[in-house]
Amino acid sequence: MRTKILAQVVLMAFIAAFGLTGCKNPPWKKGTSGGGGLGAESPIAPLGPGGETSVGPRPMVGEGGLPQSQFQPVYFDYDSARIKPSEDSKLEAVATYMKSNPGKLVIEGYCDERGTAEYNRALGERRALAAREQLIKLGVDPSRMSTISYGKDRPVDLGHDEAAWAKNRRDEFVVVNQ
Amino acid sequence: MGNGKWLMVIGFAWVTATSHAQVNVVKGRRSFGVSGFGGDAAIAGQVTEVLKNDLRLSGYFALAPASSAEFVQSGAVRGDRTGLSVECVVMQQATKRVVLSKSYQGSAQDLRRVVHKLTDDIVQTITGQRGIAQTKIAFVWTRGSVKELAVMDYDGYNAHQLTYDKSISVRPRWSPDGRKIVYTSYKNLFPDVLEVDLYTGQRRRLATFPGLNSGATFSPDGATIALTLSKDGNPELYTMSATGGDLHRLTHTRGGESSPTWSPDGQAITYVSDDSGAPQIWMINRAGGASSRLTVSPSYNTEPDWSRPPANSDMKPMLALTSRVGGRFQIGLFDSSTGAVRPVVADSADNEDPSWAPDGRHLVFAKTQHWRTQLYLLDVVTGEQVQLPAVEGGASEPAWGP
Repeated sequence: MRTKILAQVVLMAFIAAFGLTGCKNPPWKKGTSGGGGLGAESPIAPLGPGGETSVGPRPMVGEGGLPQSQFQPVYFDYDSARIKPSEDSKLEAVATYMKSNPGKLVIEGYCDERGTAEYNRALGERRALAAREQLIKLGVDPSRMSTISYGKDRPVDLGHDEAAWAKNRRDEFVVVNQ
Repeated sequence: MGNGKWLMVIGFAWVTATSHAQVNVVKGRRSFGVSGFGGDAAIAGQVTEVLKNDLRLSGYFALAPASSAEFVQSGAVRGDRTGLSVECVVMQQATKRVVLSKSYQGSAQDLRRVVHKLTDDIVQTITGQRGIAQTKIAFVWTRGSVKELAVMDYDGYNAHQLTYDKSISVRPRWSPDGRKIVYTSYKNLFPDVLEVDLYTGQRRRLATFPGLNSGATFSPDGATIALTLSKDGNPELYTMSATGGDLHRLTHTRGGESSPTWSPDGQAITYVSDDSGAPQIWMINRAGGASSRLTVSPSYNTEPDWSRPPANSDMKPMLALTSRVGGRFQIGLFDSSTGAVRPVVADSADNEDPSWAPDGRHLVFAKTQHWRTQLYLLDVVTGEQVQLPAVEGGASEPAWGP
């Protein structure tokens, strides 16, 4: 299993380094000397620490992306990143699992479709970080947890009413590298 | 100029002009009669159509019958598979003065660009102001469940997809020289700040810290990038060198900071913070220190964007933003003397993400109606809104290029 994941990671790194070959050329590239699609990403010199890095390092994830969440989502009020008391037991279930199982936890923060996009990216991150704070208090090692904010993207319910929005204002919890 | 640079990007596009322009600096909205062009009827028709649209979008002219217009245009076109030639004369009727007489050559596929150049010359000659007809707009193109970056002409034509990542690529911002675009990409799963060089297509990872990396925005001199990072446990505002490194943290709050825009002089950064409970617009020196809150009401203000009009412009720098009022999102302008937000696009739709044109007079923004989002232009002087040609799937988060 571990070998398979490692192989996937190596493949991902290879794709990242030489990626986009085989992608369709943007039309505006026609006639330019460079040819090819968008070039590969070239990493730049790593940035030095700008203070204590308190968010855990990103886990390496295989080519298939993240698996489905195996926990109950934690729901939020509109425009709020506060964990409601009604959600506490869901976080306790996550903490209990993490303390007795290997792997890393990715906390995904989401918003409903109302509101401006970039503000919602920050709000979704605060929702993920709020759960992370609570999980730290519940005894989960901070270095095993990382966050992703999707903002308004990837709603779980495509409806346009309060029932749908309430389902979309959420944190999801995904365990990887088990 | 950005104009020359786009030649490389677009390919063999080229425009040359010979000028006998007589500069006549007059200001305001003037009546303009487009008589059309002699020569090949099909080409003449297209040139006339693009010219009329450009003149209308410029905001400086009201199209009028040639007989009664202050300015009247005449001209001729010639074209075949190998090339296109457009000659244009603009006369002020009352004085019988020729204010512009130019001929333009380009490749056969280059008709719109040729006319955009002609329009900018007409605007410059008659008003003394910089036109926008040759500018570009970057935007997020929703294609099914993925979001890709795209660039198009300011009038919504010639949309070209930039990314083919089948992921989420959002929040593009231009470098001041028009060569690069920074944006937020989820192609490596986590939100990273990437930069794409429009000359070469080369991409670079600018910020890939744990947590959120987003909101990257070039300083007016292009040397520094402001952005949001959550690596220290909360979404905060940072600056970094545009070449990488030299990271500085600016804010220390319990709320989230996002959406930086540089003040016109480049000395301060205006941004969104919800540290006071609801999202409002704040400002901080580029070196950090104490921040000051700009907006008080309405109760939700986000997505600030400073205009940066040219030095000789009639326009003053203005701060556009998105407000939520009565559950609807509207575009507003912040008045620094009163602290009030003046709505400029407020209707039954949701209007978001304003981005200034380099003339400091026009905005592009995203309008959502019936849960479909498309881009519109606004002339803040006339108040006129124009819908850009609809993009299949939807267009959002526009960024007007330099």
